[in-house]
Amino acid sequence: MDTLNLAQWVFDSLTGTGLLWLAWMALASPQLIRAIVIFVAFGLLMALTWVRLDAVDIALAEVAIGAGLTGALLLAALAKLTAAQTEISKSDHRPRDGRAVRALRQLPAVLMFLVAAGLVYSVLSLPPVSSGLSVEVDANLGTSGVENPVTAVLLNFRGYDTLLEIFVLLLALLGVWSLGGLPPQRVAPAGPVLHTLAVVLTPVLILLAAYFLWAGVKGPGGAFQAGATLGAAGVLLQLAGWRPGPGFARVHWRLILVAGPALFILVALFTIVAGRHLLEYAPEHAGTLILLLESGATLSIGLTLAGLFFGERPDDGYDNDN
Amino acid sequence: MEVIITTFPWGVVLILVPLFGALSCFMWPNVARYLALSTAFALVMSVIALAVRLITTGSYRHEIGGWGAPLGIELFADGLSLLMLAATAVVGFAVTVYSIGYFPNRQLLRFLPIWFLLLAALNALFLSGDIFNLYVALELTGLAAVALTAMSGGRAALIAAMRYLFATLVGSMSYLLGVVLIYHSFGSLDFMILAERVEASPATWSALGLMSIGLALKTALFPLHFWLPPAHASAPAPVSAALSGLVVKASFYILLRLWLEVFPAGHSLIPGEFLGALGVCAIFWGGLQALRATRLKLLIAYSTVMQVGYFFLVFPLATVVAWHGVLFLLLSHALAKAAMFLAAGNIIYFAGHDRIVDFDRIAQQLPMTLAAFALAGVCIMGLPPGGGFIAKWLMVQASLESGQWWWAAALILGSLVAAAYVFKVVGHSFTQTTVREKTNVVPVLMEWTALALALASVLLGLVASWPLAWMEIGGVFAGVPAR
Repeated sequence: MDTLNLAQWVFDSLTGTGLLWLAWMALASPQLIRAIVIFVAFGLLMALTWVRLDAVDIALAEVAIGAGLTGALLLAALAKLTAAQTEISKSDHRPRDGRAVRALRQLPAVLMFLVAAGLVYSVLSLPPVSSGLSVEVDANLGTSGVENPVTAVLLNFRGYDTLLEIFVLLLALLGVWSLGGLPPQRVAPAGPVLHTLAVVLTPVLILLAAYFLWAGVKGPGGAFQAGATLGAAGVLLQLAGWRPGPGFARVHWRLILVAGPALFILVALFTIVAGRHLLEYAPEHAGTLILLLESGATLSIGLTLAGLFFGERPDDGYDNDN
Repeated sequence: MEVIITTFPWGVVLILVPLFGALSCFMWPNVARYLALSTAFALVMSVIALAVRLITTGSYRHEIGGWGAPLGIELFADGLSLLMLAATAVVGFAVTVYSIGYFPNRQLLRFLPIWFLLLAALNALFLSGDIFNLYVALELTGLAAVALTAMSGGRAALIAAMRYLFATLVGSMSYLLGVVLIYHSFGSLDFMILAERVEASPATWSALGLMSIGLALKTALFPLHFWLPPAHASAPAPVSAALSGLVVKASFYILLRLWLEVFPAGHSLIPGEFLGALGVCAIFWGGLQALRATRLKLLIAYSTVMQVGYFFLVFPLATVVAWHGVLFLLLSHALAKAAMFLAAGNIIYFAGHDRIVDFDRIAQQLPMTLAAFALAGVCIMGLPPGGGFIAKWLMVQASLESGQWWWAAALILGSLVAAAYVFKVVGHSFTQTTVREKTNVVPVLMEWTALALALASVLLGLVASWPLAWMEIGGVFAGVPAR
C-alpha cells in the first residue's frame, strides 16, 4: 500500500465513522437546537463523502439543500416552536411507564437491528462493481445535447422523472399553504453586519446560480444546484428583513412558481403534437431545450425554496370568499 | 378518426392533463371550478379512448424520450392499468364535482391544485413500467395525500396527517432501498428487462422483502394499518373518498405488478400464506373496530382496513380466478367506498357531526344519501348484484378449487361482519333523536354524486363480463396457474 492509498484509506474511515457518530449524536441529542446543528454538520460531511465517491453533483445538492436550506428550515421551525415548547414541557406530567411498556419500547430497536443485519449481509453479497447503465449513457451522450452525463440523465434520458419531481417541489409549497400558512411575522430590523452581508452576498449568489445553471451542460451543476443557490439568496434576504411588497404579490409569484413545471408541460405537449414520443427532443435542438427547461426550473425551485422558508401565504387576492 | 384513437398515446394524455389542470387551477383561481370540471371530464374521455385503443389493438408501450429501456423510461398500458385508470377517472370525476359543492371557496382553491397533482400521480403510477419512476409517482401520491388530509385543519387532522406522513415516507424509503439493491444487482429499472434478469440471491430476497413491507405499510395491511383510521376519518369527506377509494390501491397495485411480473414464485422469503394470514387478521380486526366505532367516518375507515385484508388473500390463492376476483374487488371497492365517504360527507354537511347514535331521521331528510350508503353497503357486504358479490364469489371459488377452504370461510364470515356494521348505520338513520340541531341544506349535486357512484358499484355486478375481459388484455396472468 503506497502513501496515497493509505492516506485515502485513513480519510475514508474517518469520514465513515464520523458520519455514523454525527448521525447518532443528532438522533440522541435531547436538545433540538443541538440536534439541528449536528444535522447540518452531518450534511457537510455527507457532501464530502459524495465527493470521495466521485459524485460531485450530489455533493453540491447535499451542501445546498441537505445541509443549507434544510438546516435553515429546521432552525426557523424551531424558533417558531420555542414558545409552544415551553408550554408543553410545563404541563407534561406523564406517569412513569411500567417495566413491560419500557421493554416493549425496545422492540423497534431490535427489529431495526435485524433489518440492518440482513441488509449488511445482502450488500456484502452484491457484486463489488456494477456498471449499471453507464455504458448506455456514455454511448448516447453525443445525441443528448449536453456533455455532463448527470444532466443528460436528469433532463433527457430520464427527463420524465424530473418532470414529476419538479411537481413534487410545487406540491410541497402548496401543502404548506393548504395548512393556512403562518400569520404574518413581525420582522426585527437587520443589524449592520447582516445587512451588509445580504447586500454583498445576494448578487454573488445570483451570479453563482447562473454559473451553476450554465456549468451543468459540461460538468457538475444544473437546475437543482442553481435553484438551491437562488433559494439561499431568498433566505438571506428574508433574514435581513426584506419582505415582498404588496405590488409584487398577486400573479407574479405564481407565474415564477409555475414557470419550471409549465415549461416542462409545454415541451412535453409540443413533442407529442409533433408526433414524437413524450419529451423526445430532436438531437439538434436538445441542448437548447434542456437549457430552457433548466432555466425555468431554476427560477421555480429558487422561489419555491425561499417560499418554504417564508412560510407565510403570500397575499395574492386568492383568499376572498366570494 | 379511428386511426387516431388506436394509435395515439392516450396514457400520456392521462398524465399531462391533470398536471396542466393543477397548474391552471393554481394560476387562474377565478375560473378554477370550470377548469377543474373540464380537466376531470377530459380525464374520463381519455380513459375511454385508451380503453378503445387497448381493446382493439392490445397492450402497448410508450418509450419516453424515444430512448427505450433500459436507458429511458417506458410507459406500459395493459388491462390491469386500464382497470385502475378507469377507477381513478370515475372516482376522480365524482370527487371533483362533489368538492365544488362541499368546500367553501377558499378551501376549494387550496384543494384543487393538490387534488389534480394527486390524480396525475396516480395515473403516472398506473402507467409506469419502471421501478424507479414508480417510486417518484409513489412519493408524489403520498405527499399529495398527506397535504389533502391536513386540509381540514384542527388538532386531530394535523396529528393524523403527521402520522400518515411518517408512515408514507417510511414506506417509500423501504421501497427505494429495494430499488437500489435491484438496480445494482441487475443493471436495469425496467419491469420487462428485470423479469428476464432477476434471479434468486440474498439481494433479491432483501429487495423483495423491503419493497413488500414498504408497500404493505402504504396499503395499510394489518398490523401496519395504524395510520389509516385517523387519517381517513379526519380528512375532509371528498379527500377520504379518494384516499380509501384510490390511494391505498396504488401501493397495492405496485405489489401486484412485482409479484406477477418481476419476481416469479419462489424468489420471496415471505410466503403467500403469511400475507394471507395477515389479511384474515385485517378482516376481523377491521370488522370488529368498525362495529365498535361510534363515528360514521371512523367506521368507514375501519371498513377499508377490513377490505384491504381481502386484497391480500390473493397471495396464498394465486390462481387466475383469484386474481380476477381481487382485481374486481379493487374496482368495486373503489366505487363503493368512495360513495360511502361521499354519503358520510353529506350527513356531516347536513347535521354538522357524524355521531351514529345521534342521527336524526336521516332516512326522511336525506333519502338519496341514505340510499347511496345502503347501496354501497350492499356492494361492500358482497350481496348480489353488487360488484363485491362477483369479486367474493370468484375468490371463494378460487379457494375451494385449490382446496384451501379456510380462506373461503374467512371471506364469508367477514361479509357477515360487514353486514352488521352497515345495518348499524342504516338502523340509526331511521330513528328519531331528542337532540334537535341546526341543519344545513345539502346541495343536490352532492347527493346525486354519492348516489351515482353507489349505483355504479352495484351495476358493476351486472356488467361483470366487461372488466373481467379487460383484465386479460396484455396477458398479465400468463405465468399464473389456472387453478
